[in-house]
Amino acid sequence: MAFDLNINGMRHNIDADPQTPLLWVIRDYIGLTGTKFSCGIGQCGACTLNVDGQAVRSCSVPANTAVGKRITTIEGLSPDGSHPIQVAWKEFDTPQCGYCQSGMIMSAFALLQRRPNPSDADINAAVTNICRCGTYHRIRQAIHLAADLMKEGRR
Amino acid sequence: MSENTVSDVNRREFLAMAAAAQGAFILGFWVPPQANAQAKLQTGPRPVWYEDSPTPEVNAWIVIAPDDTVTIRIAQTELGQGVWTSNAMMVAEELQCDWNKVRPQYASANRDARERAPEWTLKVMGNGAADPKGGGEPGFGPRDPHGVNGIPDSLYRRMRTNAASSVKDGRYYLQLAGAEARERLLLAAAQQWNVQVSELTAKDSVITHAKSGRTTTYGQIAGRAAATPHPNPEKITIKSPDQWTLMGTERKNLDVPDKVAGRTVYGIDVRVPGMKWAAVKACPVYGGNVKSYNFDAVRQMPGVRSAMQFPIPDPALTRGRIFSGGVAVVADHWHQAKTALDRMPIEWDIPPERAAFNTANMRDALLAAFAKPGKVRVNQGNVDDAFARAAKVVEATYSTPYLPRARMEPGNATVLVTDNRVDIWVGDQSPQETRFSCSKITGIPEQNVYVNLCHLGGGFGRNGNGPQAEQAIMIANAHRGTPIHLLWTREEDFIGTTYRAMGMARLKAGLDGDGWPIALEVRTVMQEDGFGPESSFDVASRYYVPNYRFSNHTTKFHVPVGTRRGIGQAAHEFYRESFMSELAHAAGIDPYRYRRELISRTSLPYKDDMIRALDIAADMSGWGKPLPKGTARAIALEERGAETNRMATISAMVHTVSISREGKVRLERVDIAHETGFGLVNPLSVKKQLEGQIAWFYNDAMHQANTIKDGHIVENNFNTFRISHIDEYPPEINMRFFKTGHWLLGMGHDRSTSVQSAIGDAIFQITGKRFRDLPYGGHDLSWT
Repeated sequence: MAFDLNINGMRHNIDADPQTPLLWVIRDYIGLTGTKFSCGIGQCGACTLNVDGQAVRSCSVPANTAVGKRITTIEGLSPDGSHPIQVAWKEFDTPQCGYCQSGMIMSAFALLQRRPNPSDADINAAVTNICRCGTYHRIRQAIHLAADLMKEGRR
Repeated sequence: MSENTVSDVNRREFLAMAAAAQGAFILGFWVPPQANAQAKLQTGPRPVWYEDSPTPEVNAWIVIAPDDTVTIRIAQTELGQGVWTSNAMMVAEELQCDWNKVRPQYASANRDARERAPEWTLKVMGNGAADPKGGGEPGFGPRDPHGVNGIPDSLYRRMRTNAASSVKDGRYYLQLAGAEARERLLLAAAQQWNVQVSELTAKDSVITHAKSGRTTTYGQIAGRAAATPHPNPEKITIKSPDQWTLMGTERKNLDVPDKVAGRTVYGIDVRVPGMKWAAVKACPVYGGNVKSYNFDAVRQMPGVRSAMQFPIPDPALTRGRIFSGGVAVVADHWHQAKTALDRMPIEWDIPPERAAFNTANMRDALLAAFAKPGKVRVNQGNVDDAFARAAKVVEATYSTPYLPRARMEPGNATVLVTDNRVDIWVGDQSPQETRFSCSKITGIPEQNVYVNLCHLGGGFGRNGNGPQAEQAIMIANAHRGTPIHLLWTREEDFIGTTYRAMGMARLKAGLDGDGWPIALEVRTVMQEDGFGPESSFDVASRYYVPNYRFSNHTTKFHVPVGTRRGIGQAAHEFYRESFMSELAHAAGIDPYRYRRELISRTSLPYKDDMIRALDIAADMSGWGKPLPKGTARAIALEERGAETNRMATISAMVHTVSISREGKVRLERVDIAHETGFGLVNPLSVKKQLEGQIAWFYNDAMHQANTIKDGHIVENNFNTFRISHIDEYPPEINMRFFKTGHWLLGMGHDRSTSVQSAIGDAIFQITGKRFRDLPYGGHDLSWT
């Protein structure tokens, strides 16, 4: 059964079982591979993307629940890695293996939309993704820098 | 063994695929039509595997394009440790090219095996680990046709990624590779201008003849250099650390821009034309097989193409480890394959003696093995006499559980088998072993096997020693002509990985009247195949004890064990450093002073460096200054190789830990003193590795354990196998580096092990309770 999804500002007509997790529609039917699979049960956050402003763990959400909503993936954050969050992430050389980092960035993206000036406690509460390499120290610093860069951008 | 249906790769895709499979070129990354518009817009995914270059290479490591882009071939696999950058730095230092124009790419495993290393890389100059101008002591195993230990005279010398050795083993010949290319570029320019080479200088990819004011770029002269052999390459020398300009500076990792944009192609992201997906279930009890399965029950489900049974992968291909047989379902999309597999009835054939294992009876077996005679590894002085003289005897038994890597990217591999060629796309730390597996399973000669390396979503100890590749090859071999992408679920990844062996150590010390040890007996126990990679470490010899006996004891278990990050050293440093603190408390002596004194009594060549590490870490931490109630500091030494006068890595850490009355542990602060040896290639990478290993060993200390029930692993996803979040990461980390007089032995897997013993000692200091079984999170840590 076909359905439409709005991903990174483009409409895609998907011919898939609408119950297919959103993650797999995006990775396998659309071909955007920046969003990662890791646990499949919504525990780790590697599959985090943004649906109507909310961070969503896409491995555990049927694709049809996103019909009519605006989906943003890591690829949609900027065409060239120039979004302030990505810039901040690069500044701290944050990723190690990098596998969780799309999800981390998308969690930070949702947090900063909601709280432009997050405290450490806000970060702890909102960024509950898993990083096995242990890059948390740099992720925290990068989120604070991204908040500053975004404030400057708005000025 | 297979029951497959012919897949219907469409004609255009098939032709492209067949052409690629027969020709010399590797299939490229394929983007589904849906994504074309977006991929163009966003520059798209960036594959990293080897590609033949249209420009002639200067040498096997270096290709310089007319636009001055320098492609540097990397023979180690990037799994987050930064080797993509540090290896490139070692080449570029000598090449003297513009760092901003460097693009790493994986070396070809096929060429590595087929071509012999240049003669000038084969002999290490210098005077071992103590010579700053020398090559150190790159370590290569004996020649092994399977590539398990590497092929010492293969083109890239060492095409595997393990034992924190990429920089240690690679530095000498990677610098040489850069130097050889630089010399030939200079030679080519000198010939073109008909001037003396000595009149030329090279900097940032530009060659200058100062006398005449002429310049050329590497890109312009590279073609000529490629055709200009060096007359005596064995005379080429490498720069010593005092001459480094790029090495030793903090360089951001070259793959980070792609990683933050979601463009990096990991194994899971590989797409090739006509590809089908495989989901698998292996028997959860190791050594088990499939008794029956009913494909008819799911055959009609959407996208489903075929199903097949596969046997236990040949242990000769998995370093003797016995995994399980299983079933695969192949479908158009992975989620279709997984959904069908989940609904397909499967009956397992489980050997009853393997199903009889559970954590409790395995623990009993380990304890029983202590009582049996072990293999005595060290026996100095007269231990029994000394115990008889001791004023006080302290004894402790510690345990560590089975632990997996649990890397974030689940196991996967994409394989295309045709009648005369195998291609595999995989994130793999030992591609020559995988090449051998491809050949053995398909019967296609090794020279026709191509391993296309991808970045790894975490490695933590040679992730290739799980059977993901072997399973994928077996499935693809039964679907010749169709590329098969196998992907494990997280649950399957917990079955397919190898574990660090569950182990125990019993330490007994006799103290004299002043509290100093005069006798020490150390016994360690684990399953017999856990020894070797898991032990290789002498528990106690860093601290002076005149009478010392160390023995290993074994039993037999069925869980496949392997080289997890830190190997046995991580557990052994937990045992050793925990016990040293216990002895200090028993003696009533400050644990920092106690360690310092016992190291100073040894005659170890690096004892001054160890003392320095302790002194610096203690100083940084404010050691001895009062802390609030419920907060404590603990110190520990970390070292590898310090008993030798060869390569070694020495560090010390002080961990400041708080525990709430309810028993909530918080690692508040870590102070790290770490040696640089003669120099760190990329200090930024070292800092990141130290930071990361704090989280790694914090998890080992607090949260992680795999238990066994009825022969299978119980915790098989992140809801039961806990990995810490950002809120548990220590808010303050301080690092201080100090220079020493030897080359480093690596630091990518065995640093920050002290988190384990330090949290244990802080728990003791704060709560009065001593826990010796990891993880601590399973104990009641409350206090009043």
